[in-house]
Order: sequence, then C-alpha cells, then structure tokens
Amino acid sequence: MFVLLRHLQRVRREAALPPRSGARSLAVRHLDAGSCNACEHELTATAAPQYDLARFGIGIVASPRHADVLLVTGPVTKRMEGPLRRAYEAMPEPRLVAALGDCALGCGVLGDRAELAAPLEELLPVAIRIPGCPPSPEQIAEGLLTVVRAPLDPPAGRR
Amino acid sequence: MNSAPPVIALSAWREACLGALDRGGRFCGAYASGTGAARRWNALFADGAETLVLSADAGAADPPTIVDLIPAADWDEREAHDLRDLRFEGRESQRPLATHAPETASWTVPVEGRGTHQVVVGPTHAGVIESGHFRFHVVGERILQLDTRLFYKHRGLERAAEGRSPAAGLAFAARACGAGSVTNSVAYAQACEAALGLVPSRELRRGRTVLLELERLYNHLNDVAAICAGVGFAPGNMAFATLKERALRLNCELAGHRFLFGTVAVGGSVLDLDAAAAGRARGELGELRADAEAAWRELAFAASFQARLGGVGVLSTEDASELGAVGPAARASGLHIDTRGTSPGLWYGSAFAPARPPAASGDVAARLEMRAAELPVTFELLDDLLSEPVRPGDAAAGGSTGPIGVARVEGPRGETVCAVELEGEHLGRLHLRTASYANWPALVHAAAGNLLPDFPLINKSFELCYACVDR
Ligand code: SF4
Repeated sequence: MFVLLRHLQRVRREAALPPRSGARSLAVRHLDAGSCNACEHELTATAAPQYDLARFGIGIVASPRHADVLLVTGPVTKRMEGPLRRAYEAMPEPRLVAALGDCALGCGVLGDRAELAAPLEELLPVAIRIPGCPPSPEQIAEGLLTVVRAPLDPPAGRR
Repeated sequence: MNSAPPVIALSAWREACLGALDRGGRFCGAYASGTGAARRWNALFADGAETLVLSADAGAADPPTIVDLIPAADWDEREAHDLRDLRFEGRESQRPLATHAPETASWTVPVEGRGTHQVVVGPTHAGVIESGHFRFHVVGERILQLDTRLFYKHRGLERAAEGRSPAAGLAFAARACGAGSVTNSVAYAQACEAALGLVPSRELRRGRTVLLELERLYNHLNDVAAICAGVGFAPGNMAFATLKERALRLNCELAGHRFLFGTVAVGGSVLDLDAAAAGRARGELGELRADAEAAWRELAFAASFQARLGGVGVLSTEDASELGAVGPAARASGLHIDTRGTSPGLWYGSAFAPARPPAASGDVAARLEMRAAELPVTFELLDDLLSEPVRPGDAAAGGSTGPIGVARVEGPRGETVCAVELEGEHLGRLHLRTASYANWPALVHAAAGNLLPDFPLINKSFELCYACVDR
C-alpha cells in the first residue's frame, strides 16, 4: 500500500497542477438524467490524481441538500424529469444548475422524442455550460472553477 | 442467418426453443419486430460463430412464454410486453420492467415475515453513479431479496434508429453506452454488414480488434479501481484510476477520442496508424503493463482489502448458466464463454484462448482476479496487432444479403448481441442486447443472502452499465 501511495504522490507531482487559490469551495451534486455514462466516467476522472479537483475545494456531495451546484448529464428522459425537479427543489439557495455534456445542453440529442422530457434549459435555469461529448476532465474542471473563482455575489470583503 | 428465418407456429414455439438448446445453442436474447399481422417474436441462440434466429408468428395471438424453460429470457419477455405491447401466454407474473407503475407491489416480489423491512435507494445515488432504483428487502443487515427498477434512462434509442439508413443508425447503437461504445458499434456494423452481404477486409478486422482491445483495457483498469472504491480502499482506487487515465490518453492519441467515439463505421474503419505511431503505442502499452502489474502486486499485499472479497456475492456456475450471464462475470463463475474465440469477422484467430480464472469461485474475489487475468491477454493481443501499421479497412460485397443480420461481439463486460432487420434501404428494427442487460439478473441473484453494506462491492464487481440496459 505504501508503494501505491508513494507512486500516487509522484503522479500528483508530475501532473503539475496550478497551486490552490483562495479559500472557497463548491459542493456539487451530480444527477444523471439519461446519459450514456461517458460523462460520468469523465466526472469521476476529475478526482483522479492527474486532476484532483478536491484541491480546489470542489467536491461531490451525497445529497442535493448539501449542494451549491446541480450538475446534470443526459438529455433528460421522461422518467428522470421528476427526480431532477425534486433534487433541485431540495437544494438550499443560492443554487446553480450546470449542464454537463452535449446531451444536457440539448445539442446532438439522440433518442425517441416520446421518451424524452423537455431539454434541461426549459426545465431549470442553467447557469454553467460545459460542452463536449463527453467534456474532458480539464473542461469539467474549467467549467466548475469559473464558479469558484467568480466574484462573490453580493461582493464579500475579504477572500 | 442471411435468409429470413422460417416462421414458426406458436404451437411449436416452445419445442423449437428447446430443440435449439438441445443442439448446443446458448440463448442470447429475444425481441419483437414488425407490427399487426406481420408481428414476430424472435429468439436468438449462439452456436459457435453462428447465431440461430427463431421467429414465431405473433401476428394473431400471444406467443407462449419460454421463461420456465429458459430463465435468461425473463427480461426480454418483460421488456417486449412493456415496450412492444406483446403478451405471453402462460407467464405466471408479468411484472413491469420498463414501465414504471406507481404501486410498488406491482413490480416487487412480496417479502413478509418478522423483522423484514425495505431499504430503498435511488434513482439518484450519493456518488457519481448512473440512475436506477433498488429496493432491498432485508432482515437486520441481511439481504433477502433485491428488486431493481431500471429504465430511468430509457431514451428509446432503438425506436429512434428505425426508419434510418444503416449508416445513420450507427450513432444510436454507439451512444447506448459510453464505456461499451466500440463493442456496440462493431456489433451493429457487423450486423448491418451481414444483412447487406458485405465481407470485412483483413485491415478492417485488424482495426476493429485493436479498438475493441483498447476499450477492454481501459474498462478492466476502471473495474479494478471500482472494486477498490466499493470497499473504500482509496489507494487502490486511485492507483487504477491513474492507470485508466493513461489508457484514455493513449486512446485519444491513437484515435482522437478518449472513449474511441467515432472510430467505427458500417463497412469501414478510420483507425490509421503508421509504423511509427503503432510503435509508439506499443512502447506506451509496455510501460502501462509494467505499472499495472506492479499495482496489482501491491493490491495482493493489502490484507485489509483482500479480506473483504472472498465468499461475497457468489454466483454459482449453474446459476450463471441458467440466468445467461456472460463476460468476465460468467467466466469467474466457471462458464467458459468468450465470443472472441468465435469471431471470424475480427482478428483473434482460432488459437485464441480466454484467460482462465485462478479460482472459479464466482465471488467478488474471482471477478476481480478475472479482470487481472485478462489484462495480460489484452496487452499481448495489442502488442501483436501493433507490430505492423494499422490502416483503414473496408468491407466489400461478396456475401449473401438478407433481411436480418445478427452479430455478437465480446466487449469488456461480455457479449453484445445486435440484430438489425432491413426494410428496403432502411432499418426496420434495431435490437441491441448488451452484456449488462444479460448480467443484471445474475447480479440481483448474487446479492441475495449477503449483507447490505457489501452490496456496493458486489455491484462494483459486476460493474454493470445502466445506460445500455435502458437504451
Ligand atoms: S454528451 Fe456525449 S458523452 Fe455525455 S452523455 Fe451525451 S452522448 Fe454521452
């Protein structure tokens, strides 16, 4: 195990990630509304040592009640519309919705119209758009980091 | 498989299916096609490199169920009922599969007794996991019965592909599952080529085999990481996630996409590696192999991790066979089926021998070791294939054409079966049955009798996809 840990330390060093900045954080709740699963693979990859999003204060949380951002993948199927709305309703304010991947952005959607609900944009206010099929872990990181780095609203003094 | 199969009368349907089994066939899916008086109920049986298609006339009456003869047909019949409006004569229960009825009792198995209660999970989960709903009937910590409700992600991909050209239909098969995109695309392309009478060239067979093995590589690395995550063993999870990331980057370097999207076409392949690129890839794969083997050795010494794996989530050989399990999960239970050995349209050759599990104990430990045992086979295959350039290939007319084309392709989690029926120039029906679809009933069965906190581990040891089941 210590060999593994030493090895991981080396991977992290070689990844040469930018230094952490500020002391802010973002709690993200993922919701799969009908993806092909590749968006999930890339989102999972952001936790791997080569990306390590946790060091920027970004973490996946287990409940929408703890989340700042609802990160949605997939074209929103009929059967996931209800769970999607309930997850959003359960979130404390202020809350943001992020569309992860072309499916969630409503472009290039494959499927039978009869099985799909409306595009995510029509169901919830989308604030963060991360295009790609699937977006790479770098693109996901970039999309989420814009929120972490955005000036606080209302502007706070320190930080 | 190229002439339309003779239509079997309903009275002879059960007999015909039994006959196919008796002659050594392995049930590998069933689907409804056509409408009105031309409606058919089709069952597929794998027999060596061939796939036998049996077709029943379901135009005027309901076909008799075969689920008592072939338990593996359970989900196929339930799906045909829900999505294609077919009923089955003699089925004791017709619990919904794809239809989400509001009353829980309509789709769960009744479990009663002192102290029994239900633990309900999903459709959304705590981590980055696909959507699906589980209902555990438990006594204390012990799972008595697990009822799953999937199809939350049903996008109607098969129906949406119908009416399109074979070339346009590929996108639907490809996006059924991100992590099995190559497998499903190759199965679809081969099924179309079988119907169109196209014979793949040597280069096409080699190119597709390279892509399939690259897909297997990153998936197997992913699955080892996932099993580590299933018990919360972060160092193992991160070590294999790192290796998987390297495999994805290699995919991107070789084929321009981390998940190899867009690399398969009907009647062709776009993978183009000259000697230098193939040589570089071999070098990188060699390094990856050495590091994967080193990480695997470290896992073997992680006693607290190893102690969690044995005897958990056991799937017996008999149950694996009855339930129609495929892929590493089936092999870990002692079923030696690997479609790679009978794939003349690919580049495995007659000498291909699937890895044998160190112990076919059918538990989490065996499924984990199966992945590790298969990795060297994949590395060897890739090393061999990349010893010369891989050029774009094509498929030329030459075979017999027919209204139905069927193909079976071994993916990371087992066999994908794809059937296409052509109506003139267009797809009349697309049927895609992936390894995850075949293995879900086996996972559900293996979970019963185990402790609830072990379920994530059992689940990860199968690492089934929801997207390609729901389609
Ligand atoms: S955007 Fe692409 S990768 Fe993401 S779920 Fe849709 S098809 Fe899959």
